[in-house]
Amino acid sequence: MRLWFWNLPVPLLLALRYARSSRREASVRFLSAVTAGGIALGVGALILAVAALSGFQTTLLREVLSRSPRLQVELAPGLDREVVRRIVTSQASVRSAQILLAGSGWIAHDGRIQACELLGVESEVPAWFPGSAGQPVDGIVVPDILALRFGLERGDTVRVISPRPTLTPFTRQIPRTRSLPVASIFGAGRSEEFDARVAIPLEVAEALLWGTDLRVDVDLPIDRVPAVAQKLRAVLPAGAEVVTYRELNRALFFALRLEKVLMFVGVFLIVAVASQALVSSLALLIASKRGELGILGTMGLTPAELRRTFILLGGLLAGAGIAIGGTVGCVAAWVLDRYRLIALPEAVYIVDFVPFRLRLGPDLLPILLATVVLTLLAARTAGSGASRLSPAQAMRR
Amino acid sequence: MSVTVRARGLRKTYRDGQLQVEVLKGVDLELLSGELVAIVGPSGSGKTTLLHLLGALDRPDQGTVEIGGVDLRTLGGAQLARFRNRTLGFVFQFHQLLPDFTALENVMIPGRIAGHSAREVLDRARALLAEVGLEQRAEHFPSQLSGGEQQRVAICRALALEPPLLLADEPTGNLDPATGRRALDLLIELQERRGMTGLLATHNPEVANRCAKVWRLEDGLLLP
Repeated sequence: MRLWFWNLPVPLLLALRYARSSRREASVRFLSAVTAGGIALGVGALILAVAALSGFQTTLLREVLSRSPRLQVELAPGLDREVVRRIVTSQASVRSAQILLAGSGWIAHDGRIQACELLGVESEVPAWFPGSAGQPVDGIVVPDILALRFGLERGDTVRVISPRPTLTPFTRQIPRTRSLPVASIFGAGRSEEFDARVAIPLEVAEALLWGTDLRVDVDLPIDRVPAVAQKLRAVLPAGAEVVTYRELNRALFFALRLEKVLMFVGVFLIVAVASQALVSSLALLIASKRGELGILGTMGLTPAELRRTFILLGGLLAGAGIAIGGTVGCVAAWVLDRYRLIALPEAVYIVDFVPFRLRLGPDLLPILLATVVLTLLAARTAGSGASRLSPAQAMRR
Repeated sequence: MSVTVRARGLRKTYRDGQLQVEVLKGVDLELLSGELVAIVGPSGSGKTTLLHLLGALDRPDQGTVEIGGVDLRTLGGAQLARFRNRTLGFVFQFHQLLPDFTALENVMIPGRIAGHSAREVLDRARALLAEVGLEQRAEHFPSQLSGGEQQRVAICRALALEPPLLLADEPTGNLDPATGRRALDLLIELQERRGMTGLLATHNPEVANRCAKVWRLEDGLLLP
């Protein structure tokens, strides 16, 4: 006699014994297996789907962070850039602040011409520029695709043309141009954004573009971005607009979030269907034990204790499904990510395999919590049916 | 320990769609403390229904039941369950034992429902099974016991918490005559030894004659 077992609360004691005995009845055993299997399938599929989306989100975030500033302050015309820079660099966690000037123009070489985004930078290529971050800008820094198209090599001279012409007393509009040597060529990779983006010295950009779109790019740790942005919004003068990387890529992050939510809801339907099977399985067990439930009633088991018994029994069944599905899902996600088993065409996507990433708080806990709540609600539905049965009704043959 | 049971004007009708069957048509009774009374009547006369009402397993459409001065109408579902646990011991013809529990465990369950410790209910269950000569069968499941042994275990379970009132519904109805006689002897002996109030429903005159009083239930009314 195991005394510890008999010291358990009566509903738990009954649930554990019924869980064991239900294996002996073929119909109940089949339904219980379908229920636990369904919940396991749902939880496993949910974990894999959420892990894949989290993996893509992480990869995309890394990509976004490597190709755009973490925080930037856009300056209205006339605003003193040095005052703004001083305020920005005085904030804790800010590593550096660089003044940039962005605008449109063309570059021409050897009879070819192409529209480009001109980016005037102070002294060196910003950290978020792919491939050539930190290199001195003592000429023009061009993407490899453009270099290939124009047949450019380091040291070649390129003409940068501004859309703002110079007016002369002779009423002719002369295009404003500057000739710059190619300082370096960077790999734009698969980013269309960088295909036509070139970096030029700030003073050249100012001469070509005047004061359009002047901004301060701020480098700081990613986790400090929201706090520093909030602080800067409070202390910077009017006309300085603080924009974070999330706001710069708002549409992308919203799409990812929406996709994750919709995927969660869609795959969670498997768990919802399995929960219905749980109700059926418990209802069948209650029907097959109707007389025994009546006897328990005569012995003084309260309706609430009877309900708790079946909630616990449902919890045990669902727990088995959650444990199996959770383990299989987590292990599968780890293996698929570790060994890069699902390949993607490198030319199409920014990664060449489907990345899986599972975080306990934001990913795993909502899945487990939602499954536990839904299955317990299902078990409660079945248990309430048992608790409404009076002992006399239950024992009537 | 025993209690007095009083019932006044008990009426109970079962409805099944358009069909209505009035089983009890105003039953009055008073069962004195320590008495053992038999209710006899043909099958379908309402003996089980009356026992269910007196045992707080069902509620009458009309009338009152008072056990040990407690009016059952004043008790809610959970209170009624606790009342059954403390006050009543049941022995039935069918559904005697829980098949997923051994004989010993079946006798332990009322004590655990009452909140007694596992050690306490285990010792008590062992003593009871020994009292009815089943100590060697304690670890057997009901399916491994004979009908007579099952009924003896059911009697032990009914007496596990020493309830003041014992209700038995055809306790020998499912047993062969010899086994039934032995089970009845045991039931009466234990009831007398503990001085419990007892009510026994049966259609068997031989069983009824073993009781101090016999009441007849006919056409929904109780005749002395």
